[in-house]
Amino acid sequence: MRIFACMLAILLVSCGREPLVQTQSYLFGTLVDISIYGESETKAHQAISQVLQNFQRLHHQLHAWKPDSELSQLNQSFAVGNTPVKVTPELSKMLIQASELSRQSDGLFNPALGHLINAWGFQRDEFTPVEINDADIQKWVKAKPAMSDIVIKDEMVYSTNPAVKLDLGGYAKGYALDQAAKILRDQGIENALVNIGGNIIALGRHGDKPWRIGIQHPRLATPMAMVELLDGWAVGTSGDYQRYFELNGQRYCHILDPRTGYPAQGTQAVTVLIPPGENAGVMSDVASKPIFISGENAKAEAAKKMNVAFYLIVSAQGKVTVTEGMSKRLNWLIKNPDLKVLPD
Amino acid sequence: MKALFSQFKFSRILIGDWILFFAALLLVIFLFKTYWHIESATKLQIRQGDKIYATLSLNQSRTLLIHGPLGDSKISIQNGQVRFVSSPCRNQYCVHQGWLKHSGQVAICLPNQISLELLGADKPFDSLNY
Repeated sequence: MRIFACMLAILLVSCGREPLVQTQSYLFGTLVDISIYGESETKAHQAISQVLQNFQRLHHQLHAWKPDSELSQLNQSFAVGNTPVKVTPELSKMLIQASELSRQSDGLFNPALGHLINAWGFQRDEFTPVEINDADIQKWVKAKPAMSDIVIKDEMVYSTNPAVKLDLGGYAKGYALDQAAKILRDQGIENALVNIGGNIIALGRHGDKPWRIGIQHPRLATPMAMVELLDGWAVGTSGDYQRYFELNGQRYCHILDPRTGYPAQGTQAVTVLIPPGENAGVMSDVASKPIFISGENAKAEAAKKMNVAFYLIVSAQGKVTVTEGMSKRLNWLIKNPDLKVLPD
Repeated sequence: MKALFSQFKFSRILIGDWILFFAALLLVIFLFKTYWHIESATKLQIRQGDKIYATLSLNQSRTLLIHGPLGDSKISIQNGQVRFVSSPCRNQYCVHQGWLKHSGQVAICLPNQISLELLGADKPFDSLNY
């Protein structure tokens, strides 16, 4: 009888709620999803609130089309001449990092394309199909706005090209992820998962298991694969299904090829898995873009340039290419994916 | 009567038994293939902004209107599935997602800040990369 009571007690304890605190918020014009495991609710909520406050701050600082953000004010000064403007040390550091990554990607990751992004109608909370104005697009392509036009010295910034307009849409979420990981660690949180608009970073584990991430299928309302995200790892996807419009049967996504000024074609999605490091979040956001934009035969080279070893590509025809390392980490949830594995 | 009874008791496996056995085996294989991989969901969690609006059973026929910043989104639950039927948002990505039925499937309407997530006994993952 006593043994029976003990067993019942153990059963009841194990049936109790697991120590997982989850929150969802709409910030950054997207969904922010934070999970914390193994902490008291009070401590978890305190830490989450710090992370969200920081996101809110970054959102205001880096907003690309609200005129009062620090970034917009810098853009306004770029447009009217090359007088140096004082920026915060944080923005200065971000611009240096973004310039370096742009150079590394041979300019395919190009946050100086704000005018072009606007010409395509993507700099809006709610965008509608635009009449494609080729003359306008060609004007911005010819002006060649690039991160290398920006001069940064002692937190004074100016641009040698008035066509430069910064839009950190392909960088800010990743930066915010790195900041979130740092804030959570500083708060003594060991196990957490932060998801900003699909870009995810993991700290520790979910109890006795690693955190598990579903990778969205670019055409179906279901995840196509599952990946375990170990401590410090980050994952990010660039897809033609996140922000796009359709005009005359053609899909135009928000990822623009700076060489043509048109949305990159030929790819449905690129997912990158980034090992732990100070910039894992930034890399999870940035590194998928050059791979997405590059033509089929240049994708592997683009990945190499960004030092990405773990990636998955879904082509416009739905064919999946994965690196061997990535393949080993994936659990497919769809039956018989049309798969090609690249040796490491 | 006694003879008849003992005949049943010691009879060999007959053709009918084999048919039954194979039918059962086929049924098990069929069920395994159909349902093992991705579990059908039983519950729906609706979020409105930062809050959980409701957690509902999928075993009902019901239409709900959920209020968001842009207006009302219409959600339909039917035959263990759920979908956005209409939404005041411009791009209608949420409506284009169509029916959701497996646990872990998510439809999010960012502009109207409403999300649908299907829950099952064992959630296949903690968060979704998209």
